[in-house]
Amino acid sequence: MRRRALVDRPPAARAPALAGRESVRATTLANGLRVIVWPVHHIPNVALNLWVRAGSRNEAPGITGLAHFFEHMMFNGTVRRHPGEFDRLMEAQGGANNAFTSDDVTVYQDWFPSHALELVLDLESDRVANLAFAPELIESERGVVTSERRLRVEDNNHGLLAEQVQAAAFLAHPYRFPTIGWPEDIQSWRIEDLQAFYRTYYAPNNLTLTLAGDFDPERALALVRRYFEPIAAQSPPAPIETREPEQIAERRVLIRRKVQTPLLQCAYKAPAAADSRAAAMELLMSVLVEGDASRLHRSLVEDQRLAIEVGGHWQEGFDPGLLWLSLTLPEEAAPEEVLGALDRELTDLAREGVTETELARARNLAVVGFWKKLATIDGKAHLLGEYEVFHEGWARLFEAPARLAEVSRAQLRAVAAEILDRRRRTVGMLIQEESGSASA
Amino acid sequence: MTGVRVPEHTRLVLDNGATLILIPRRDVPLVACHAVMRGGALTDPQGLPGVASLVAGLLEKGAGARDAYEFADAVEGVGGAFGAGAGAETLTIRAQFLSRDQSLMLELLADALRSPRLAPEEFEHLRERQIELIKAAKDSEPAELIDAYGRALLFGSHPYGRPVFGSEASLATIDPAHARNSYHDHFGADRLILVLAGDLDLTGIETAARAAFGDWSRAPGRLRPLERPAAAGRRILLVDSPGATQTHFWIGSIGVDKRYRRHAALDLVNTLFGGRFTSILNAELRIKSGLSYGARSGFVRGSVPGEFAIRTFVQADKTGLGVGMVLSALTLLTREGVSADMLDSARAYTLGQYALGLETATDWAAALAEIELYGLGTGYIDEYAAELAAVDPAAARDVIAEAFPRAESASIVAIGDAANVRGQLEEFGPVIEMPLTDPHFLPRVTGDEATTRGG
Repeated sequence: MRRRALVDRPPAARAPALAGRESVRATTLANGLRVIVWPVHHIPNVALNLWVRAGSRNEAPGITGLAHFFEHMMFNGTVRRHPGEFDRLMEAQGGANNAFTSDDVTVYQDWFPSHALELVLDLESDRVANLAFAPELIESERGVVTSERRLRVEDNNHGLLAEQVQAAAFLAHPYRFPTIGWPEDIQSWRIEDLQAFYRTYYAPNNLTLTLAGDFDPERALALVRRYFEPIAAQSPPAPIETREPEQIAERRVLIRRKVQTPLLQCAYKAPAAADSRAAAMELLMSVLVEGDASRLHRSLVEDQRLAIEVGGHWQEGFDPGLLWLSLTLPEEAAPEEVLGALDRELTDLAREGVTETELARARNLAVVGFWKKLATIDGKAHLLGEYEVFHEGWARLFEAPARLAEVSRAQLRAVAAEILDRRRRTVGMLIQEESGSASA
Repeated sequence: MTGVRVPEHTRLVLDNGATLILIPRRDVPLVACHAVMRGGALTDPQGLPGVASLVAGLLEKGAGARDAYEFADAVEGVGGAFGAGAGAETLTIRAQFLSRDQSLMLELLADALRSPRLAPEEFEHLRERQIELIKAAKDSEPAELIDAYGRALLFGSHPYGRPVFGSEASLATIDPAHARNSYHDHFGADRLILVLAGDLDLTGIETAARAAFGDWSRAPGRLRPLERPAAAGRRILLVDSPGATQTHFWIGSIGVDKRYRRHAALDLVNTLFGGRFTSILNAELRIKSGLSYGARSGFVRGSVPGEFAIRTFVQADKTGLGVGMVLSALTLLTREGVSADMLDSARAYTLGQYALGLETATDWAAALAEIELYGLGTGYIDEYAAELAAVDPAAARDVIAEAFPRAESASIVAIGDAANVRGQLEEFGPVIEMPLTDPHFLPRVTGDEATTRGG
């Protein structure tokens, strides 16, 4: 089988001048709301992100899935507006919206024409200040979330396995909870649980608002003040102090199901988003799984043909999380054999490190990825929020290409050697059930 | 009104028939390429869907002086992206590079289009992997395949009925000679629409593009114009996935083509029916009933009418209820039409979102390639706001009559647990069944993507 081809070393990307930083305005309102705005005028639209520092990390046994359920309830009416008004008013003014929940945060996103800015700020501030909790809507929304859970977990082998692996990877830390929630919890949380969660986490001092697009920054900030400043600050949420104990041995999850293509997942304990090794972690993921020339794709999919797909991501949050590697295997594959081949690649990487060519490739891919995000108002609003919430402030965003350029081969090898440690991983396998057996 | 007008660009047609479009844009230091070859899955031999898709995959698996690994190294080494894929009547290469690498991008594109190696061992691996990927989708993401089942059911032996990516059955019989023949017959300058956009060195890139493609000959094969597909009335296909907790379903009919003159009205009515969160469909299945995570509808429009399709999923026990709700919503739409107030809201929404889809150089490259491919003219974008403004309830009624199905004639595909779902579907008509593990997308007895529809 062929080995990685070594081509002439491509030049490292020269970071172009990062225009834009000077036009970003940031402020903190008296109630603690952090506001960051970035005026750009290439299309007559605005992207808004509202970042809430609450995710499944802030849950407890019995109320798992509450942060995600909340994301749904935020669209279901306030004391001022009937259920459905939020979407009806926004769409009638040309706006669209969405939201997502992770282990760490819940983010609300709106995309709208500039003339709808005031309406959207009115709608967003209203649901932060005045959410209603209509019992019939809570019941209907439980059905929607259950449907979402069937889609993403129960009828999706990747989701099913990942949920079990994540639950096994953490003993103490709330990262063990699935963001969508355990099925019994989805059916049983009460209005009081929702109200307490709302008071605690949907306080202005726990939020970051970002805007990017076609507006005058002074006017935008004045509108934000008009609609958000009257909302009272709350006592800061109790910090999540649980520290996951050091993992001392590999853990295993084995699921048997009626499938044609087995799955293999490995989740390694990994640093938090704000860790000083973040840039090296980003490049490590790229070396491993980004693109057809990545190590694992080339070795396991192309050379050895042991997998049909290889993917991975670093789950970067407030606390140390996981580095995931996910493989889809061909029918008849032996997952243990594939795991052995994966381990040989990872051992080689930890021992020998990466080539200059691989490092330059990873840096260049990261720089192009950075510019692709900056090409849209959606990408700008998202990056402002992500850096403000996870990476010590929005201004760090503009240093991203420089930080990537500073990572050395030695640093990358050190991160690989430390993180890709079998004792600190959880391995999940999903394989064909034995003939005749009803279930695992 | 929308603030959206086609940006300044250069359009050239070379002597050999290749079309070149250049769109300068300097917001970020990136360049994008959108190269469309007319043909795509239309060129697949009868009974062998998937050939064009494999050819597309092979274009980046070695071309010119580079083998597959060297090609990927050249692309990704500078942070670029390069990907080819087949569609129902096109094969498209999309690429994006840092602007300093625009010459390399063009060189790789020319190599992929003009001198792919089509190596048998790369072919074999792609083919095997494609079969496994279909199996993997059946295991975890069956909804990704529902369009293939729906098109096979709806279009029968018409080329739009073929699964573009092939079926497990067809892929098993395609050999490297099919790919080589397909390439040799259907690649040539007259099939090419090349759009380059972004932070371009305009003079340099035009010279380089002329040098790269100016001496390319025309494709020797003939591309026959498509016939309009004929509607066949309601058919119901149940794809059995034993143990599935939910049913994915697709309700579809033959819609309208890309040059449909009332496309602005079509967009507004579809926005209201199933194109946004507060749409009629999503309101019924999600907002009011909590039955589903979501329901949407949309049109696929090609050089001839493609499908109008509604896609959603519900708990297995609620399959009949869900299908009934969708059909009732269709009946209501065809009977009542939409009001002027509803149209005003849809108009504001469509206008408000329009610029967001035409924001980047990549967006514009794709949009101008489409305008060129279907001969739409730049008025398709420039006049869109004015056309939206002119839509009234009467125009909406015409569109509903012309493009949307009557509930009783719409076809249905459901992927779910047949033991549970069969009886629920039978109230809508006779049901034909196949297992999800069947390597075709339509049962053999009634025809498949490879043979003519029975009768």
